[in-house]
Amino acid sequence: MNKNLLRIRKAKNAIATAIALTSVGLGVAILMVILYEIVTQGIAYITADTLTKTTPPPGGTGGLANSIVGSLIMVVMAMLIAIPTGVMGGVYLSEYQRRTRWGSVIRFCNDTLLSTPSICVGIFAYEMMVKPMHGFSGYAGAVALAMIAVPVILRTSESFLILVPDSLREAAAALGATKEQITLSIGFRAARSGILTGLLIALSRIMGETAPLLFTALNNQFWSLNLSHPMANLPSTIYQLAMSPYEEWHKLAWAGALLITSFVLGINLLSRYMNSYSQRAEK
Amino acid sequence: MTISSIALTDNIRPLTEETALSVRHLSFYYGHKEALSDITLNIHRNCITAIMGPSGCGKSTLLRAMNRIYDLNPTHRASGEIMIDGTNILSPGIDILSLRKKIGMVFQKPTPFPMSIYDNIAFGIKLYEKLSRAEMAVRVEQALRAAALWDEVKDNLNASGNSLSGGQQQRLCIARTIAIKPDIILMDEPTSALDPIATQKIEELMVTLKEDYTIAIVTHNLQQAARISDYAAFLYMGHLIEFRDTPTLFSKPKHPQTADYLHGRFG
Amino acid sequence: MTQRTQSLTNWTVRGLTALSGLCVVVFTIAFAILLGYAAWPAFSSFGLHFLTNEAWNPVTDTFGALSSIYGTIISAAIALVLSFPVSIGIGFCLSEIMPRRLVLPIRSLIELLAGIPSLVYGLWGMYVLAPCFQTTLQPFLIKHLGHFAFIGQIFSGPPYGVGLLTAGIVLAIMILPFLTAIVVDLFQSVPRLMKESAYALGMTPWEVTRSISLPYIKQEIFSGAFLALGRALGETMAVTFVVGNAHRISTSLLAPATTISASIANEFNEATSDMHTSSLIALGFILLVSTFLALVISKCMAARAVKGRPA
Repeated sequence: MNKNLLRIRKAKNAIATAIALTSVGLGVAILMVILYEIVTQGIAYITADTLTKTTPPPGGTGGLANSIVGSLIMVVMAMLIAIPTGVMGGVYLSEYQRRTRWGSVIRFCNDTLLSTPSICVGIFAYEMMVKPMHGFSGYAGAVALAMIAVPVILRTSESFLILVPDSLREAAAALGATKEQITLSIGFRAARSGILTGLLIALSRIMGETAPLLFTALNNQFWSLNLSHPMANLPSTIYQLAMSPYEEWHKLAWAGALLITSFVLGINLLSRYMNSYSQRAEK
Repeated sequence: MTISSIALTDNIRPLTEETALSVRHLSFYYGHKEALSDITLNIHRNCITAIMGPSGCGKSTLLRAMNRIYDLNPTHRASGEIMIDGTNILSPGIDILSLRKKIGMVFQKPTPFPMSIYDNIAFGIKLYEKLSRAEMAVRVEQALRAAALWDEVKDNLNASGNSLSGGQQQRLCIARTIAIKPDIILMDEPTSALDPIATQKIEELMVTLKEDYTIAIVTHNLQQAARISDYAAFLYMGHLIEFRDTPTLFSKPKHPQTADYLHGRFG
Repeated sequence: MTQRTQSLTNWTVRGLTALSGLCVVVFTIAFAILLGYAAWPAFSSFGLHFLTNEAWNPVTDTFGALSSIYGTIISAAIALVLSFPVSIGIGFCLSEIMPRRLVLPIRSLIELLAGIPSLVYGLWGMYVLAPCFQTTLQPFLIKHLGHFAFIGQIFSGPPYGVGLLTAGIVLAIMILPFLTAIVVDLFQSVPRLMKESAYALGMTPWEVTRSISLPYIKQEIFSGAFLALGRALGETMAVTFVVGNAHRISTSLLAPATTISASIANEFNEATSDMHTSSLIALGFILLVSTFLALVISKCMAARAVKGRPA
């Protein structure tokens, strides 16, 4: 046996291992650096003012209150549209169209929508709602967000429903239950936590989206709960604040960024926790 | 027809007494659970040693301790000694890569690598030797002949390893193992995934191979153990109940548990 | 429940779910058609010249997509080139080197990067990364590589801090968690027994990865890479902040440029004419087609990988 060959092989392995460890270190370090910046830049500006005042007028001071509220309204509305559509679509694919042609077509269309850039979704919502209605509106914003959420919810709902073992369904059928009864009572109950996780993922995704809102809901400096007019939203406000020439406004933008990031990461962690909790509970 | 009379080995050549591998007081733990308890036995050179026992008795664990493949999982640990050529291979300073050149392993399911038949064999050789193209071709042919596969694949060496039948794939894995010229070959239920005809071919192969190699085989198939092995060990719940030459073990087992197992009173 | 209410429930469920499925298909088709329709004025008046014209002039109402397309492709390419090796390294580390109990925490940490909204990446890019590059990386590149024959052209010009390179790096960070998740899952799908056979022959972890695992999952990794490419092509907010927003093609990666999504985000609401708007939508249509192509290629590669698998 060639002793030299062995040494070379071991050396190659050591180098590859070192590079791999560096990659992991790099990934984790980048995450830490970014999170650190977000927190340190933004935390000072999370004040009572920020949370209660409206968008600052040029040269003045203000807060993010109306933007936060506007975002919440549109996000909630988007989820109200997206949850039934997405879940029902997932049920349809998993229970009625699992191996059919039409099912493949739906799945393909869903995947296409899923990987469509969100700015294209914004343009579509603009053409579909803003132009005919002759104006930007909170409705258009909500619809744009819903169009981003539906594919996510549909896909995760379908995946988790498929995971429910057929033996469970067969047992219920043997008792005389109809397909719809089986789906509603057994399918949902078994896939419940997975579907919920999917909803949370979709929620965290649309909370951070900016592009689709840029030309649908536009933005609103003032307090407004009128969905048929431009609606204040946090991402657009942050964008405007950041692009402005005022130093004060940049700080406010960071505060907004911290708020959004905290929410999104919080929901992410929550869904992960729920996933592992339910897996442990099943064991 | 008793089990002991269907042995394939002729027993004309006297069994060697030389030890290739010596297990001494081996205990093995999966985390906190003890899987093997104080096992002591000798694997004799150029013989086939069968390790038998019901499911969960620890036979695969014992085999896998011998080439330290359990190292891949940090919660698995072994205590005791396994001596090969005067060295304890369980000690921490051992060079694992050299160990695995000396001890080869064939697994339950055939696992051809995702490459051509030729490359499957050449791959292992390249790890240890620098050969020219001509020399490599010779070695590959040697290995395939020794594994009784050459005639079936010689016109098709560039075909993917996956294109072979189950039995052929397993013989390919055996060829791959013997290509690097080990001293000892460990086989973990090598025919359990194969049909009877493929099984028979591999059993005949094993009997031929023992001329040049030492073989330890784990099997749950009593008839197979009786057919091909020279020595047999019976394990039960992590303990070594009995170990002696095959004809004696099968015809005159000392332990009542062994007798029960041989007569199928438990599986 | 009576028979009648039961059948009513059945029909309702069946109908509603089928409707949802139909909606998805209808919306997808409507999407393409509506966007194409709104982009048509630009395509019909500029013709194919739209794709080859670098100029983007709101004043004269002539628009060309070339600078946006160029920036989109280059920044996405940089992102892939940077993050692909890193994700393979992480995959190798997590599947063969790291102790098992560290795998999930590290994986979760890296996936947290995916949770950070694009807008926040843009903010970070503009206020932290770009200034940092302006004072460190870019001068370094200009000084040491700027005077070489060909490479020099790529790293020349004043250090603005923003530019295609910066955009590419931010994109790389954004698609890293996506790629890593795919790669790690694929590494874990390699049959354990096959890897054990390789270890039993005496291979080192790197050899097992390079010669056994990677070839086994090669096609699916490329499928995942195309999916990541699609995402990088469409990324908007992160890029808008750091790309420089100039409708120009220059050989230097350090010069301000633009991408399709950045152009749309910046100019849509301030479009000076209908042709301007239509041109922007035409850009969006091109983007839509590109990401669709990336998706289709990704799916084809994944399908081929499954077919070639042993039973």
